[in-house]
Amino acid sequence: MGILRLGHVDITVPDLDLAAAYYTQVMGMIEVERTSDRVFFKCWDEEDHHSLAVRYDPRVGIDRFSFKVEREDDLTELERNVEAYGFRVSRVSAGEEVGQGESIRFETPSGHEMELVHQVEKVGGLLPKVNPDPVPQGLTGIAPPRMDHLLVTAEEVPEATRFYMDVLGFRLTEQLLDGDGHQIGVWLERSHSPHDLAVVSGPNGGLHHFAFWLDDWDHVRRAADILAYNSIQIDVGPTRHGITRGNTIYFFDPMGTRNEVFTGGYRPDPDFPTITWTEDNIGRAIFYYEGDLNDRFMKVHT
Amino acid sequence: MGILRLSHVEIRVPDLELATAYYVEVVGLIETARETDRVFLKCWDEHQHHSVVLRHAPTYGLESLAFKCQDADDLDHYAARIEAAGISTKRIPAGELGPGSGETVRFQSPSGHVTDLVWGMEQVGNLLPLTNPPPEPLGLVGIHPPRIDHAFLMCEDVDGVTDFFTDVLDFRITEQIVADDGHRLVTFLERSHSSHDLAFVTGPNGAFHHVAFWLDDWNQVRQAADLCAYHGVRIDAGPTRHGATRGWGLYFFDPAGNRNEVYTGGYWADPDREPVTWTEAEMGKAIFYYEGVVDQRFLTEHS
Repeated sequence: MGILRLGHVDITVPDLDLAAAYYTQVMGMIEVERTSDRVFFKCWDEEDHHSLAVRYDPRVGIDRFSFKVEREDDLTELERNVEAYGFRVSRVSAGEEVGQGESIRFETPSGHEMELVHQVEKVGGLLPKVNPDPVPQGLTGIAPPRMDHLLVTAEEVPEATRFYMDVLGFRLTEQLLDGDGHQIGVWLERSHSPHDLAVVSGPNGGLHHFAFWLDDWDHVRRAADILAYNSIQIDVGPTRHGITRGNTIYFFDPMGTRNEVFTGGYRPDPDFPTITWTEDNIGRAIFYYEGDLNDRFMKVHT
Repeated sequence: MGILRLSHVEIRVPDLELATAYYVEVVGLIETARETDRVFLKCWDEHQHHSVVLRHAPTYGLESLAFKCQDADDLDHYAARIEAAGISTKRIPAGELGPGSGETVRFQSPSGHVTDLVWGMEQVGNLLPLTNPPPEPLGLVGIHPPRIDHAFLMCEDVDGVTDFFTDVLDFRITEQIVADDGHRLVTFLERSHSSHDLAFVTGPNGAFHHVAFWLDDWNQVRQAADLCAYHGVRIDAGPTRHGATRGWGLYFFDPAGNRNEVYTGGYWADPDREPVTWTEAEMGKAIFYYEGVVDQRFLTEHS
């Protein structure tokens, strides 16, 4: 029945140990597996093998993002759709990639490598399946329960949007239009949330940020305390978005990849009418309390 | 593509004016239509015509509940499966069940509840514009939850009813409380990847335990408790936490005696998520995690 949700984000970092220290001690993820040049992490409530993979590379960047599909035969159907659109799809056999079974990979019009996968190695959450307490004790750092969404950049947002919607079945919850009515930002969902994937104007292949879910605004406040304590560079927030209505903080991991912690939003049905933001309201659309965008937020990506 | 989520409940109340005043002023729902014996209400962020219908009746309880389907042909698909399970269904055209109502398949579930599958209810929009909307309207009164969340019903045979909802209607079990002799006392079922859209607890067939409205966080649950206390609404339990579903809840009664809940928290459930099991010995923590004991009123009182 199609794409379920974001599965994992694969980024590159110039310092594996620093990345591992940050993502486990400050973010509070769990290191699941390590190879010579990669480290895999998951959030405490996630049952799948990993939601973040970092690979050593002298440059900070993104290798790919991976979405989980509901059924095995979704891969075949979506592979057909992508090929019919004119993109080459490669199959990655089971056993070739750490922690998961067969997947398909292809390049999208936004210049990103995207992966779709169904079979994922289940490593379980931190709680038992019999009489579980609601949250484990002794978690360190921010400790989000799960990954939530990512935002990427594309030169041609409308073209990328058509691909994600028409070929992959994403639904448009919100859009930001410039004065000519041209899409400069889109928010797309599969999981009945405000967004699983968003695309804004920028260079093809860029990663603006990926975001972790927190349960409420108080958890966002505590995240800001933890970031400041660890001298992590906060980009913006705690604040609120007009778009998605979420509450948020943006900050940078020590290598420069932007992270977000996010909560709130709403639960759109598939027939949800798209919300439109006009460019003259861009400040409130992105940062509802400030009403203003900072340059760094607009320009810095990896 | 199947059932999306809980759409609406129709609740019986002996005093329609009093109940309407409560659901509008205290719960903070919005009246969208009125007939001589029924009032139609929605939560502020819902786009659909209604999520709660109050029906004037000499008694209290649940008249019916409805689940929203994603596509029109889901109705035929599930009607055929329900009939194949030996339960008769009735097709009701859009508009016939009242203002705004969609195309409906109605049947009596093995739990004794009149259950509808609905597609195409009239969309009236939420209270916000679709261009440059603020995150929330101002001037809302009462608790004003953004949306309905789940229904909790009673039935004699939780095992059998759960099998019906999973096998025939494709619900998935997220959690269950299992008695020492192996039969299920309570089951939590979802379609919307949430911790539950529907739950069944052992009790009389057709009985209504509660309907729950979503709140965004624990602080709003606290504010809801303040509002209930201010208005003299009888609080049943909470604010507290559930072990099962991990949510935070506050239970209280409408003036007719129907139980309401405001609820937040929980988790995202993948379709292949293995269900959580609670044993009878831990039932107290499963229901009320902080207290660790279930009070008898919660288990026995229903409408």
